Amino acid sequence: MKLDTSTDPQVGYRPPGSLDPDAFERYSGHFGVRQAAHLLRRAGFGGSQAEVARLASLGVDGAVDALLHPVEPDVDLAVYPDSSELYDIHLRIKNQAAQMWWLNWMLQTRRPLVEKMALFWHGHFATSLNSAKVTAPQIVQQINLFRSEGLGNFRSLLRAVTYDPAMLVWLDNRKNVAAHPNENYARELMELFTLGLGNYSEDDVKNAARALTGITLSAGRVAFRPALHDQGQKTFLGHTGNFGPDDIVDIVVTQPVHPRFLCRKLLEFFVYSDPEPELVEQLASVYATSGFEIGRTVGAIIRSNVFFSPRAYRALTKSPIEFVIGLQRYMQFPQVPLDTLTWLARMGQIPLAPKTVKGWDGGPTWINTTTMLARMNYVNEVVHAQVGTAQAATMSGTTVELMPRFPSNLPSMLVPSAIVAAAGGTIAERVLDEVVAGVVQGDLTSELRTTLLAYLNGTRTDNPQPFGPETFETKTRGLLALALTLPANHLN
Amino acid sequence: MQTRRTFISQSLGVAVLGGSLPLALVRAAVAQPLPSLGSTVDPGNVLVVVQMAGGNDGLNTIVPYSDDAYHRVRPVIRIDETNVLKLDGRIGLNPALAPLMEEFKEGRVAIVQGVGYPNPNRSHFEATQIWETASPDRPMTNGWLGRYLDRISQPRNTAHTVGAGAAPAIDFTAIALGDQVPTALLSQNVDVPAVGGLSSFVYAGGGDAASKRSAGVLFDGARPGQSPYLSLIEETSRAAFYGGDILRQRTTGYKPRVAYPKDGFSNQLALAAQIIGSNLGTRIIFVSIGSFDTHSDQVGQQNRLLGYLASGLSAFYKDLAAHGNADRVLAMTFSEFGRRVQQNASNGTDHGTAMPLFVVGSRVKGGVYADHPSLEDLDNGDLKYRIDFRSVYATVLRDWLGRNPADVIAGSFETLPFV
Repeated sequence: MKLDTSTDPQVGYRPPGSLDPDAFERYSGHFGVRQAAHLLRRAGFGGSQAEVARLASLGVDGAVDALLHPVEPDVDLAVYPDSSELYDIHLRIKNQAAQMWWLNWMLQTRRPLVEKMALFWHGHFATSLNSAKVTAPQIVQQINLFRSEGLGNFRSLLRAVTYDPAMLVWLDNRKNVAAHPNENYARELMELFTLGLGNYSEDDVKNAARALTGITLSAGRVAFRPALHDQGQKTFLGHTGNFGPDDIVDIVVTQPVHPRFLCRKLLEFFVYSDPEPELVEQLASVYATSGFEIGRTVGAIIRSNVFFSPRAYRALTKSPIEFVIGLQRYMQFPQVPLDTLTWLARMGQIPLAPKTVKGWDGGPTWINTTTMLARMNYVNEVVHAQVGTAQAATMSGTTVELMPRFPSNLPSMLVPSAIVAAAGGTIAERVLDEVVAGVVQGDLTSELRTTLLAYLNGTRTDNPQPFGPETFETKTRGLLALALTLPANHLN
Repeated sequence: MQTRRTFISQSLGVAVLGGSLPLALVRAAVAQPLPSLGSTVDPGNVLVVVQMAGGNDGLNTIVPYSDDAYHRVRPVIRIDETNVLKLDGRIGLNPALAPLMEEFKEGRVAIVQGVGYPNPNRSHFEATQIWETASPDRPMTNGWLGRYLDRISQPRNTAHTVGAGAAPAIDFTAIALGDQVPTALLSQNVDVPAVGGLSSFVYAGGGDAASKRSAGVLFDGARPGQSPYLSLIEETSRAAFYGGDILRQRTTGYKPRVAYPKDGFSNQLALAAQIIGSNLGTRIIFVSIGSFDTHSDQVGQQNRLLGYLASGLSAFYKDLAAHGNADRVLAMTFSEFGRRVQQNASNGTDHGTAMPLFVVGSRVKGGVYADHPSLEDLDNGDLKYRIDFRSVYATVLRDWLGRNPADVIAGSFETLPFV
């Protein structure tokens, strides 16, 4: 296939503070395979070559619409995991069931932006199973909230989060009663969820905590109990009244700083890590004018010139989840193998267990010697897993029998013979183009291409076999491992 | 590309990657660690941190055998007085710690009793984060040792600085022995490798040697002015790709001079001794043993683990001494919490608070520091702490690593005289 090279990632990076005047206008430039793959990586988790080609065929408007307003029914994983798995007496196992449940949604969904937004909100509200206070069913309920409301209205979402069982446990608001206020949720509501440090006072924290009293959780049911609620006057961010939880949400989202706070974070997640202040302002205006509509705001981002600009192209590091699910989608795994959890832990990101209440720091913090070695070795394990020889996972503290639903590891559907068939025969150059088009959309230097071709052609004395019918099995797998290890494949 | 790289000679006898390994740039955080206090601290000092994961029961580790209350609250799981290794008229060691008695008698073991902090957290995860970040009040991303590393190092390259063909730079200033880097070692500036073992800390080629050889040059394409993270990824990938071979090459001359026990913890310590004896510039090594989370049938499990701990440390120090390295190594244990005073209905103990920790080394001033916490004066059934854990850290930072504790830990904490 002919590679589309209309934007060159090698020359695209510009310093911050140099925003084009039309950055936020609708993108109307070329929309080929590379742009479609970029869109699918950011607004999803990447995909197979066929998925990318299908998205490219829709044109930019059609592709964005398909992601924002999916019409075809999604896969049906709704009953999964069932309650017996989530309520298993072994804490570890039920946590793993919840983790596997969500990873499978990310892999199998036909609505990738829905799952990507859920991942964004998971990092934003950063509730963790690791505290042992939050249970697996509670966190599944929270993720389902993010999946159903994550592209909806932020004010509604924040209200729902305020009454969410996992959050009530995680930040202790279930213990926040008039007689003994607990400020944990009130503080994070402003610091982490809506405004950012420096945009409220300690008095605001105290008063918000009083207004948030009375939401209880017993036997898994959330109830507002007026008897436990502080009925006094509160002064919060310049407003005074007998405020309750909903008032706090209303006041906090209408603070002028809130749109900028949230929109900066969305830009860092979807576009690049150092958005220009003027870009933040423009998006904040879209968000505020829409009445806090997340879908409209995200839509404005992913159809903008700046989203498709060279500066944004491969300007983010892939998180471990993006790296792993992207690989599994590209290689067409039918479901997520259980050992994926072990590998993700080695790479530094455990789903449903963010490192701190601030979520994951992301960016360069994903990249260190240990995590990069884990990525390389994961690639090699996956690529060399042969059909029919799936091994039992070696997970500490767990055996596969406890979770028969999750195969320990799986061969992918993208086998060498399929790649060779798609390439039109055992011709080294064609197979190379097929693989690098699928993995990095051809984003590699000519030197690297020469290196990969030399590996296939076997030009060295320690690699004398040429690419052909006898060697294509091994060499196509080796090529896949090399391509998936390319620096460009760690960039989103 | 080949011409711009420097190769070590085959005569080193390292058969890796087709025989050619780019000259390792083992990047010490600083060439000469500078103690901040102008103290007499030896810049070659090494700290070995031993995590006793899961929450170790302190009462059955340092046993208050003469206290009637102890026998009342532990009717089934108590350590019988006749078995206790007595340290004085009131307390003694769990008999499983017998291998440490020799070190103790030589004055090389300090026991700090009742270590904890205000408003103790009983969640494994959160309490571990508190101990590893030294920040009970506010969650932090980087660890206390990570912040120490930041203080002695230059900012890590994040972009635009590494040219094509640069030597792989791997930093062995601190090493975590295991699969993942613990929070304690998360740092802004220093990329701490997690080394599961010499044979697992290596690029696995899936049996395809030719593919593995090709992978070595995948990371040589960095040029200034690209995606902001590309050169960081290339530099780090290069360190990851060659790091295992570099580590093996640098440590290959070392042979242990004692027979270590055959458990996983001793394997870690044997590797730690090898790293220390191989002049990699390593100052911090993190090892871990667990699980001490003994909610049921505690005695067998805890005694087995304490046995591993004691026999491992004993072998470790004998090995260090045989190589002349004992004087520059200090080992310190910690656990996220101790356990409840009262045993539970399953002959185990639930999550508690304060507990003792051990500091071991030939330059340690051995003995028992602080009184055993009272078994009568409790806080909701849990021990009240006597020593803030940050006092122990402050002591290690100031008197062993030569760093002003205030550079690393928020607040001011008294030091103890155990170094």
